[in-house]
Amino acid sequence: MAWITKNSAGTVVEKRSEPYLTAAMKADLTNRLLPRFETTHAALLPALHMIQHEYGWIPAQAMLEIAEFLKLDPSQVIDTASFYEEYWLKPKGENLISVCRSIACEACDYKAITQVCKDKLGIEVGETTDDGKFTLVEVECLGSCDSAPVALVGEKLHEWLTPETIAKAIDDVKAGKAGHHHHGH
Amino acid sequence: MQFNAKDFNPHLDGPILTKRIPCWPYADPKGRHVVHLDEYLKTGGYNGLRKALTMTPEAVVEEVKKSNLRGRGGAGFPTGLKWTFLPKVDEGKDPGMRYLAINADESEPGTFKDRLLMDFDPHLLLEGIAAACYACRLKRAYIFIRGEYHHQAYVLEEALKEAYAHGVFGSKGLLNGTQTAGGGTWAVECYVHRGAGAYICGEETALLEALEGKRGWPRIKPPFPAVKGLFGKPTIINNVETLCHVPSIVEFGADWFSKQGRASTLGAGAPPSFGTKLMGVSGHVARPGTFELELGISLRKIVEDLCGGMRNGKKFKAAIPGGVSMGILSTDQFDAEMDFDIGRKCNVLGLGTACPTVFDEDTDMVMVARNIARFFKHESCGQCTPCREGSGWLYQLMTKVEEGNGKTKDLDLALEIATSMGSMPGTTICGLADGNNWAVRTIMNKFWGEFEARVKPSYVPVKMTIGAGAR
Ligand SMILES: Cc1cc2nc3c(=O)[nH]c(=O)nc-3n(C[C@H](O)[C@H](O)[C@H](O)COP(=O)(O)O)c2cc1C
Ligand code: SF4
Ligand code: FES
Repeated sequence: MAWITKNSAGTVVEKRSEPYLTAAMKADLTNRLLPRFETTHAALLPALHMIQHEYGWIPAQAMLEIAEFLKLDPSQVIDTASFYEEYWLKPKGENLISVCRSIACEACDYKAITQVCKDKLGIEVGETTDDGKFTLVEVECLGSCDSAPVALVGEKLHEWLTPETIAKAIDDVKAGKAGHHHHGH
Repeated sequence: MQFNAKDFNPHLDGPILTKRIPCWPYADPKGRHVVHLDEYLKTGGYNGLRKALTMTPEAVVEEVKKSNLRGRGGAGFPTGLKWTFLPKVDEGKDPGMRYLAINADESEPGTFKDRLLMDFDPHLLLEGIAAACYACRLKRAYIFIRGEYHHQAYVLEEALKEAYAHGVFGSKGLLNGTQTAGGGTWAVECYVHRGAGAYICGEETALLEALEGKRGWPRIKPPFPAVKGLFGKPTIINNVETLCHVPSIVEFGADWFSKQGRASTLGAGAPPSFGTKLMGVSGHVARPGTFELELGISLRKIVEDLCGGMRNGKKFKAAIPGGVSMGILSTDQFDAEMDFDIGRKCNVLGLGTACPTVFDEDTDMVMVARNIARFFKHESCGQCTPCREGSGWLYQLMTKVEEGNGKTKDLDLALEIATSMGSMPGTTICGLADGNNWAVRTIMNKFWGEFEARVKPSYVPVKMTIGAGAR
């Protein structure tokens, strides 16, 4: 829902003393990313990806830090951050399960896959388990329609899913067998 | 499994885009692996680029123009012609900053063809990028890849490292500072830039906004990107598959290219459908997958002869020709020929991405319309009222009808809303709303009986079967 307006006026910024945008991230932005672009604004998506990758979501304080570092207005940062679905402006579970709900997957009954997730995790779509381990969402086409139904568990794509294989994928994560970070950012 | 490849691709001696990526009808996909630089070089890699540098940039553009290569991103715009829209560069003069944006956003439901190229043969794309940058005198290239393609971004980054180490890109100039027929060397920097989950960023001007770090809001055109694009500079935007065609067109020539595929069947003067196309088949077929086929092949042939027919012996009911924006092919359009004329001939928006999603006789077409309406409601960027409000309205109406709470007047209203939204009726900035319009309207029109039955109280629903492919 890319066009839902942002709640910037109502945002309460909880502060912690330690910055989210670390010295290493700043160095990476300065040395690797900023030289690629004509504007500092263009480094915003990569900067937000860094924060999200490190913390699993993007706290308001981090957006303020990015704004300062990239010499942008905080409103420019939240304007962008609130548009893209991959950016979480609220904390999510350690492992994100994204079940594809687009047409090829619905034609191949993705609903059975979502149902197993809901039953096993005891949550609805959009919710996070109490232990903070899993968040379940449904997303649009993951570009793997020939192996429908599919889901991303973390950054790993699971194809040709059946109720049994999605259950196993969840069990594997629970047992610590599947790292949720696949390749760096 | 064994196929007679000539049966599918009569004018081809072998695969072109998928030369290094096993695909039926040529080879078993089980043999797929990432092609690294050494293998790429051993199999003729970078020959197209090497040849390009022996030609003047204008000659390369001319060759691509002559080939009649049309964009593979969905709109089918002639690539060479697009390249000529850039401001002219005086011989020996520095044109200033100019950009290439590679559209690797691939988010149109039903589409998974660019992924194949990036998964397994990343250097083919890099070679196409380098050749296009030389031809158009572009200095920087950004591969804008959808955020969910984690693995593909990784493969591309690794390939880029190899390409830089090999001197393809970098400040010395293309191919280690090779002297070009255009005079001097030509240096190109190339980067991978990840999107963050928004279908609209596949629209070319939304992509530029996203690259600039802003919301993916399509721009009003004109000005066109070739004149005023990324950071206000001349910019070319091309699809991944389009650019992957460039090296072989340069190496083997426009005449070679235009022997594949076919001229338009709409009469003299209509733009042709030359070359091969990646076609990724999904839905209710026995063996879904991606194939490289000459444009013009019939959908029935792809489904029956390459995909092993319909899943579980069912009958064909309908198909989307290439991404949900295109609308639907009805049961009696199974023989539709997959080329750029399909829009005019079959009353769909166009060929789109040429990745058909196929539905069997048990498919509920109201479900299909509702699913697609939900997609567009979700992905509308919200700038234009007819799209933002119309997409939500259509989704509500489709849901109501699907749940059995609809009335005939809801169907009429849905058709009226659909017909009024889009850049073609002239009410919106970009084509997302046209896709919504064509999808909902053609499904309703071509399967009207089903919608009518659904607004009657006697309706009995059907059950679905899990999984792509035969069980
Ligand atoms: C809503 C919308 C989404 C689009 N998504 C994509 C996409 O994901 N990939 C793509 O290559 N083109 C997409 N396009 C088409 C691009 O705007 C553009 O025509 C294309 O990238 C040009 O490249 P080509 O000429 O090489 O095909 C989209 C267009 C619209 C209106
Ligand atoms: S047509 Fe829809 S998606 Fe395109 S610019 Fe308008 S509101 Fe945004
Ligand atoms: S529709 Fe699910 S991956 Fe494309």
